[in-house]
Amino acid sequence: MKAIKTRDAATLKLQSAIIYAGLMMLLFIPVNIFAQADSTKKEAPAAEAAVAEEEPSLIGPSLNFMIVQKANNTIDLKAAMQAKVKGTFYKLSLLKVSFVLVTETGDIPLGFVITDKYGKAVFNVKADSLKTDAAGKINFKAIFAGNKGMDPAESEVSIKRARLEIIPVKEDSLLTVQMKLTDLSTGTGSPVPETAVGIFVARLINPLKVGESTTDADGAASVEIPYNLPGDAKGNITLIARLDENETYGNIEASIVQPWGLKVSDKLTELPRALWSPHPPLWMVITFSILMAVVWGHYIVIIVQLFRLRKEEPDTAIATKN
Amino acid sequence: MELNSYQQEAFNYQRPNIEKFSKSNLLWIVFFLLWIVVGGYALYLQIAHGHVVTGMRDNVVWGLFIVNFIFFIGLSYAGAIISGLLHLFKVPWGKPIIRLSQMMTITSVIVGPIFILLCVGRFDRLHHLFIYPRLQSPMTWDVLAILTYFVGSALFLYISLIKDFAVYRDTKMDIPKWKQKLYASLALGYRGAASQKRHLIISQNLLAIIIIPLSIMVSSILSWIFGMTLRPGWHSTIFGPYFVLGALYSGCGVLIVAMWAYRKMYKLQDYFNDKLFVNLGYFMMVLAAAYGYFTFSEYFTSWFGSAKWDADVINKLFSLQEYGWWTLFANLFGILVPIAIVAIPATRKVNWITLASFAMVMALWVKRYLIIVPTLETPALPMQDTRMEYVKYTASWPEWALTFAGIASFLLLFTLISKLVTVVPVSELEEPLHQHNHQHEPIFVNQDTIQTV
Repeated sequence: MKAIKTRDAATLKLQSAIIYAGLMMLLFIPVNIFAQADSTKKEAPAAEAAVAEEEPSLIGPSLNFMIVQKANNTIDLKAAMQAKVKGTFYKLSLLKVSFVLVTETGDIPLGFVITDKYGKAVFNVKADSLKTDAAGKINFKAIFAGNKGMDPAESEVSIKRARLEIIPVKEDSLLTVQMKLTDLSTGTGSPVPETAVGIFVARLINPLKVGESTTDADGAASVEIPYNLPGDAKGNITLIARLDENETYGNIEASIVQPWGLKVSDKLTELPRALWSPHPPLWMVITFSILMAVVWGHYIVIIVQLFRLRKEEPDTAIATKN
Repeated sequence: MELNSYQQEAFNYQRPNIEKFSKSNLLWIVFFLLWIVVGGYALYLQIAHGHVVTGMRDNVVWGLFIVNFIFFIGLSYAGAIISGLLHLFKVPWGKPIIRLSQMMTITSVIVGPIFILLCVGRFDRLHHLFIYPRLQSPMTWDVLAILTYFVGSALFLYISLIKDFAVYRDTKMDIPKWKQKLYASLALGYRGAASQKRHLIISQNLLAIIIIPLSIMVSSILSWIFGMTLRPGWHSTIFGPYFVLGALYSGCGVLIVAMWAYRKMYKLQDYFNDKLFVNLGYFMMVLAAAYGYFTFSEYFTSWFGSAKWDADVINKLFSLQEYGWWTLFANLFGILVPIAIVAIPATRKVNWITLASFAMVMALWVKRYLIIVPTLETPALPMQDTRMEYVKYTASWPEWALTFAGIASFLLLFTLISKLVTVVPVSELEEPLHQHNHQHEPIFVNQDTIQTV
């Protein structure tokens, strides 16, 4: 009994000493001693912060508006809605964007589109039916009327009608694309000189630029196409001629499909067993399975032994006597 | 359940430890729980604000959490290997520490993987590890290996406890009813019958045989998480055995410290005697020498080859402006001091060996830090216009709080297990001077003390 008491006293003494030391350590460690400073973090002035808290303002969205003239004599009106909230840009979906043709006699509504999950709305109109102003320009406006949480926004773009033609030329083994850019605003069709036009090839996600050329006095330009571009199963590639963000004509594009690519099978081929493929090497599967089976097999044997041990419990009284 | 006089004496001596729950025990547990609460608050901050509250950024994506994970998992492997070897080779002087090794195994295999979970940014995708496992990935190997190992080590501890549970069940102790019922159900009806003994021996031997290679494999897999990458300082064939040895070495140190603590707290000097400390000290010295050889080989090979990225890491490790002092500490207290203390007869004493072990454990924790952080601070892609905290890792206070909470959880589990079972195994114990073939007379538990369950 005395021994136990002595032991308890010693235990208490040791444990108390360790606890005391621990608590003292806690007292002497400043809470932020290990904290890492953010070098970009700046303290906001108190007055600014107070104003921000007092005046909850509506979100001011931005509306990006662009126009693409297409080869099928139609025009794509493309609007993208986004807003910056607390330093982060958000794409605004499910908002109604109206498109309007602005004329000298007044605005003519064309229609509206609801933005998709990327905040984009695309409206397609036939080019022939659109009225031009005195300078031969067509004026479009994209309007977001605003809602309870957002301010309204609008954007206006003016373009002249133009046509971009794309003509494939194959001479021996040389593949070339000839382009012709024509201004249609005059009614007679006049060539557009000194303008850079790019040639792209459609790829899985975005078009790949393969060349660029500047139009001559006849509005013509040509670009050589590489012979080794991967195509589809028949070797077809889609060539796209594009005039990007021109001040007068906006964006214009025309495309053509040619069998100038390498034939690439569209059937999924079985990937080999390798470290990089979805299928692990066979030796790895076998080794892993054997190792796991051996270990878990042992566990099963042991658990069975324990069940048998429990089952073979002798009578308590006999066991005690023996 | 019969015990010989020596075993009975050992049990009687330790009985109060599982019968009584003193105020000092309660204070001890509250102290650990306080640390865990602080860790819980840090975890809340981490969940609420994301990993931005830690010092981990784009380049250094692993920090204290992974250091702690490797450290605790290493202890676990060491405990399993030591207890497995002691059981298989029937080392007479090692019997008293088998339980302690197994306790270390199970507690650290519980605490270690928690640090991995703390490191995971997307808890909601955690189950993807099991739904979409990729057998080629060392991460998948590690998850499966640790799960398998956890089951093995829990079984190993439980099987070695069955006989003792039978002793607790058959002794009338001053314990609550739930505890009596728990002992009775965990004893699995073991009464010491010959067939039962056979089942138990088969199970123990099988597990001891399987747990040693399993620990080595699992430890190697842990090292391959680093070794299989092409990063400087990690991509090394030596990493597998180096991790196994490092784990065994640090585990040996923690075992010595735990022995010292229980020897003091529970007055167990008859079981955790000076000879045991010296024997473990010799074991530690041999491991220190081997570990030192591996460390030298690792540094020397990298330094001599002077491949660009390897040289960068080596320069960081040895530059006093960067990690030089830490490297010095890790190698001085992790290799030289333990060897010197055990080699010199004057310091080959219990307290000195314990002190060297404690310092060595600290040094090996630092070594794990030095393995992870300097390498991650040396990416193969150049960093330009990057903020300083993205280049250089500094642990934040939530990381430290969670680290201490992990240590507190480890010690709390140790304390709780030692209130449930005797720290020195009773039924397997052999008298130290058992070389003479004298057999102790078996004694039976007095009929009056038997209680019906």
